Amino acid sequence: MGLPLFSADGDPGPSFWHLADGAGMTAGFGGSARDSPHATTVIAVRFNAGVVMVGDRQATGNYIASRDVRKIEAADRFTALAISGSAARGIELLKIAQLSFEHYEKMTDSALSLEGKANYLSPIVQRNNLTTPLTVVLLLAGWDESHLEGRIFEYDGAGGCYERLDFATIGSGSPFAEGTLRLGFRENLEREEALDLGALALYEAGDNDPSTGGPDFVRNTFPMMVTVSAEGFQELPNADVGERFRLINERRTESRGVAGGSLR
Amino acid sequence: MTNYFYVSPEQLIKDRAEFAQKGIARGRSLVAAIYDKGVVMVAENPSASLNKISEVYDRIAFAGVGRYNEFDRLREAGIRWADTTGFTYSRDDVDARALANYYAQHLGDMFTEGQKPLEVEILVAQLGNALRPTKLYRVAYEGTISDEPYFAVVGGDAETIRDRFALSEESLETLAATLKNAAAALAGPDRVLPAEELEVCILEDRGNRRTFLRLTDEQIKEMLS
Repeated sequence: MGLPLFSADGDPGPSFWHLADGAGMTAGFGGSARDSPHATTVIAVRFNAGVVMVGDRQATGNYIASRDVRKIEAADRFTALAISGSAARGIELLKIAQLSFEHYEKMTDSALSLEGKANYLSPIVQRNNLTTPLTVVLLLAGWDESHLEGRIFEYDGAGGCYERLDFATIGSGSPFAEGTLRLGFRENLEREEALDLGALALYEAGDNDPSTGGPDFVRNTFPMMVTVSAEGFQELPNADVGERFRLINERRTESRGVAGGSLR
Repeated sequence: MTNYFYVSPEQLIKDRAEFAQKGIARGRSLVAAIYDKGVVMVAENPSASLNKISEVYDRIAFAGVGRYNEFDRLREAGIRWADTTGFTYSRDDVDARALANYYAQHLGDMFTEGQKPLEVEILVAQLGNALRPTKLYRVAYEGTISDEPYFAVVGGDAETIRDRFALSEESLETLAATLKNAAAALAGPDRVLPAEELEVCILEDRGNRRTFLRLTDEQIKEMLS
């Protein structure tokens, strides 16, 4: 927004609501929103030097439409953004986020704060979800350069944005992943511990939720695992991720499909 | 048929600059300075209600000299820009440099394309923190923007006042000392400005989100004594 100058007769006065409404910053209503299944599981976990994000790769309609979808993308160097819900709208939103953050940086010669990025997407999700049935839910996690810590922001279907201090999940496999995270999370996890916990939570979701794809040893396709820290957005190589899931799978095979008494 | 007379661009700019300078020179000047704990803005202003200095955001203040109606509209626009930017992104993303740039663009546009140039000079002050430095940005009537290191003077008599203030300025001093120097620089050798004719505002961390504070006549009196 440039300098909001008004002539004396079109001036919104001291009312911020009228100013925001005139600038199109408030949500419109209309259309019909309905619940659509967010066939996905994406997890974000904070650790002592950043955040870990794990996401499955299956696109589900009435059947499995794709097995290698990327639901987590780098919105910029220090921000990971994950989508669930409508694929078309979700991917469009990813593109808007990527371009918006870059545009802001070029125009102002300063990077947007992590909180600023999270807030910026709120009304965009809100407008989409309140006016179309193509619901999108986001999960944003990143490295906060001004506070020097990893932070997680979770959205709800109405566009509400909430900071989570421990972990967050989106998608239909959330309840299963959440159960694992609740038992396994503690403050100041090491990077490796957070990666293992994230992988285990996603394994649980893939095991229980029909719309979440677990590790696929036949096709050698595994969930995406990402860390965002002071070094920026880093994706784990497929072989590394495969090895982590192979270990979980072996343990589960030993104890015939259940965790077998401990979080493993 | 209308006849248009040719006016050279040099002449046009010169005329417009003269016009703006004359308008600004009619008003009183204003000093802003960085002291040990914050930023102080001191204006010679006999009116107790028509202010020249204003809060813009948590750590940003605005000061204007020249035509009141013109700088007051810019002040309002600045507050609206800051509040909408903070609402859209985050409070941490509201930056005085961006605001000063917008003022510079608008003043520049009005100078070259407007019916008449705006007869104002603007000062945008920012109190620094871990994210940003303490800054004083001065924006002139034709859109020139400058980043002043320790203090800035805007208004008709800026040159003289700047020289007077520079004499006293050595290192960062207390608020009271800086205020005394600023008041003396504004008054000149032959006058003493009473507290009632000074408008003084500061940006200083007091443990709250908002750092702007307008000093009362009593507070000013105490500091000047």
